[in-house]
Amino acid sequence: MIQTQALLQLLQLTSPALPVGAYSYSEGLETLVQSDAVSDLPSLEHWLTQELRYGTIRLEAIALLKAHEAATVDHETLSYWNDWLSALRETEEMREQSWQMGRSLTRLLLQLQSELQPIILACGEPCNFAIAFAIAAQHWQIDPRTAVLGYLHSWVANLVNAGVRLIPLGQTQGQHLLLNLYPQVEKTVDAILQQTEDELWNCNWGFAIASMNHEILYSRLFRS
Amino acid sequence: MISRSQTQAPLKVQRPFYPEGSQVCHTVLLHTAGGIVGGDRLSLDIHLHPDALALITTAAAAKVYRSSGAEATQTVQIHLAAGACLEWLPQEAIVFDGAIYRQDLQVELAPGATWVGWDITRLGRTARGEKFLGGEWRSRTQVWQQGRPLWIDPQYLVGGSEMLVSPHGLAECPVIGSFALIGQTVSPELVSQIRSLFPLAAFPSRQVPSSQASSSQVGATRLMSGLLCRYRGNSTAEARQWFTQVWNLLRPIYLGRSVCMPRVWQV
Repeated sequence: MIQTQALLQLLQLTSPALPVGAYSYSEGLETLVQSDAVSDLPSLEHWLTQELRYGTIRLEAIALLKAHEAATVDHETLSYWNDWLSALRETEEMREQSWQMGRSLTRLLLQLQSELQPIILACGEPCNFAIAFAIAAQHWQIDPRTAVLGYLHSWVANLVNAGVRLIPLGQTQGQHLLLNLYPQVEKTVDAILQQTEDELWNCNWGFAIASMNHEILYSRLFRS
Repeated sequence: MISRSQTQAPLKVQRPFYPEGSQVCHTVLLHTAGGIVGGDRLSLDIHLHPDALALITTAAAAKVYRSSGAEATQTVQIHLAAGACLEWLPQEAIVFDGAIYRQDLQVELAPGATWVGWDITRLGRTARGEKFLGGEWRSRTQVWQQGRPLWIDPQYLVGGSEMLVSPHGLAECPVIGSFALIGQTVSPELVSQIRSLFPLAAFPSRQVPSSQASSSQVGATRLMSGLLCRYRGNSTAEARQWFTQVWNLLRPIYLGRSVCMPRVWQV
């Protein structure tokens, strides 16, 4: 069972009020809505489910776990997973998003917990958001499983919110969708906790093409 | 020139030729058995000396046959010394229904080295109506420079799964392709030019009447040190045509030379 202080700190870390600007990113959803590939509740649910099963977010969650494990003991491994995640970002907007949010979080952490400075320095610049999140979670003694559940919850909540604004959907529909996605979030987390390194694969052709073409959308509300 | 070459059946390296002068070595790889079967382990180890320029392609489309359970693998290790440039432009691969295939391509770039590569894959012999209903396809490309990864691309597909039909995955398109240039800084204007080489309808962001929309989709973007193009569609010829145009646009920039088509493609 998660300790009370750790739970409260996790809620702080996953809150939409965390000043990292998550709300300004749609991760390709804006392209998909404009081209009608995502147009209602079922198609948004399908998209997010596929991403959780096979997409890059799964690999991001694995990198978070690895970084959590390495944060205090092995700075070289921490920096390896940060570099790995940067190299995995196959579109410019997704890379910029991850770096900008990571930079915002590491700056905040340096203000809040200055003792984290050596770890943040060791991780190197630019620091990806999932890695910065892992550093904070490890420092606040949030166990790995809970940390990655929290991370995926804030990811999914942010994209559901983007979908509600873009499609648009009603607020209540958005809340329904979140509830529907929790079983998949749990499955993804339990599966990646048992990953071996040879299972670092993804399938995201539609996602990559949508994200690449977000760069040339005529009118945009979101930065990715 | 090729300073050292050692091969073992069924892989062969044909005698190099120099259609664009002595500086660029064109080399053709040949798979003499006609196709890859379950259990095959192909491996290639390629080193380029400082400032060496080479283009490597294959003599024909690769075929990966249905497997009764064993995985076929192809492992390619490429080391490019300072200032070297390798163009890795194999002809397409046809992955039969039921094939279990994995390719690993690892590139080590010394400072100032450039790697350009493409990969075009058809899943199932679609001309005869075959779909990729069983088996597995994996392709991992990694490009490293001085101990740091510049690009890691681990892709997999499970035959008959929702990955092949979902819009998030292949959206029922049997052909996928990637083109990458790594080791050079690329301007956003260049990415725009690359996009303009493909009909606009293929970009999912453009709203076009469905009767005119190409069923193929493409995208292009910048990588940390280079660029990436993706194709998801129905035609290996269409993918190859776009990639060739992209190559045509880029080659004067990264090599200061115009494109010289390998003669083995002109059949």
